[in-house]
Amino acid sequence: MNTNGNIYTIVYTTVIVVIVAGILAAAATFLKPSQQANIKAETISQMLQAAQFETAGMNNVQKLDKYAAEIDRAFTVDAQGAKVKDLDVSRGNIELEDGLKAQNYALAGKGGYTVGLPVYILKDGVTVIPCYGAGLWGPVWGYLAIEPDGCTIKGAYFDHESETAGLGARIKDDPAFRSQFVGKKIAWGQEPRFDIIKGGAPAGQQNAIDAITGATMTSNGLNGAINNWLKAYEPYFNGIIAAKAAEEE
Amino acid sequence: MTLKETFLNPILKGNPITVLVLGICSSLAVTVTLKGALVMALSVTVVCGLSSLVMSLLRKGIPNRVRIIVQLVVVAMMVILVDQILKSFEATYAIDKQLSVYIGLIITNCIVMGRIEAFALGNKPWPSFLDGVANGTGYGLILIIVAFFRELLGSGTLFGIDILNRLGYVPNNLVILPPFALILLGCIVWVQRSIQKDLQEK
Repeated sequence: MNTNGNIYTIVYTTVIVVIVAGILAAAATFLKPSQQANIKAETISQMLQAAQFETAGMNNVQKLDKYAAEIDRAFTVDAQGAKVKDLDVSRGNIELEDGLKAQNYALAGKGGYTVGLPVYILKDGVTVIPCYGAGLWGPVWGYLAIEPDGCTIKGAYFDHESETAGLGARIKDDPAFRSQFVGKKIAWGQEPRFDIIKGGAPAGQQNAIDAITGATMTSNGLNGAINNWLKAYEPYFNGIIAAKAAEEE
Repeated sequence: MTLKETFLNPILKGNPITVLVLGICSSLAVTVTLKGALVMALSVTVVCGLSSLVMSLLRKGIPNRVRIIVQLVVVAMMVILVDQILKSFEATYAIDKQLSVYIGLIITNCIVMGRIEAFALGNKPWPSFLDGVANGTGYGLILIIVAFFRELLGSGTLFGIDILNRLGYVPNNLVILPPFALILLGCIVWVQRSIQKDLQEK
């Protein structure tokens, strides 16, 4: 048989491509639920670690159990700080707002508020909020846990897609970097609200930490991500702080 | 060549990294931790073996003019399948994320398509499969050797378990960066050539 004719070549490639497409489509459909379960457990684990709960060594089920045990309520807010919708926090049907990338576009002014800013409130009153932005090689994102007073940071956890191992990747891998956040205060209404400073934060500055040596671009990117998102959350936290002040009077 | 030679040659005398100098990029990128290197080694071995097998089965019917495209389609399918499967298991999900784009980039690993072109298209399925697996193993072996030193000296750990740090060792940041992997690879080539004298150019 002539395997070099035009008709044969076209038919052959078409058949091969259709078969491969079928296999891949089937695999993607079949594996999607377990992949999403992994992503969900990872997101939950990152939020818990931001709030200073240890999740190392836990499997997916334990992470979800822990989250369900610690979470009080979750909802999304709009740019004015008003609640948009509730997120389900019951163990069987944990709902997360994971459109951080789309939301980040919205925050940058590319399109309206399509997703809503998620707010996760734990039983001890700690609020966990996400941030998302551009690192050096790809996106960086993370979670900030904020004490009930609305400005003290209880902890933070960050992740990245492809920052340099040993340098930018330390935002995730280096506990010493994360632990700098603990006890810092967000300066609501100021610019910047929080600062990651190359060369080291001045002693006594309450809203700043040291950048990572050799990872200036990642540090700046993370700083941008945190500040963009804090700015978006400001109306919500102003409401919290005002309500607290009114309560005390 | 006997089947035994087909299998052993790529691991020792014809090692794809140290002798053919293929697949260097990924061996610099994924050898920061042993776990990552091990998963990468297994993934490349699976992709290489199965792609060679499939291409060998198809070899008589492939139109010569589009054979590279057909190879690409088959290899890409294998790579995507491996990536999807790694993502869907709890145990491998974190490693897949750590390896990020490098699993997907197996498709650009010269070893895979190089072996299909050089071997699978001219040989029966079983030897082709063995050749693919052997080349993946040869690649993986070097990866694991490099990762062993990089994780031990760069992080003070092995498989994430603290080894040197508790003895007061301060991890060396240079070891974590890709240039050190190149230096290590050079050392491995040096050692191999001084043992196997017939590899030295006259």
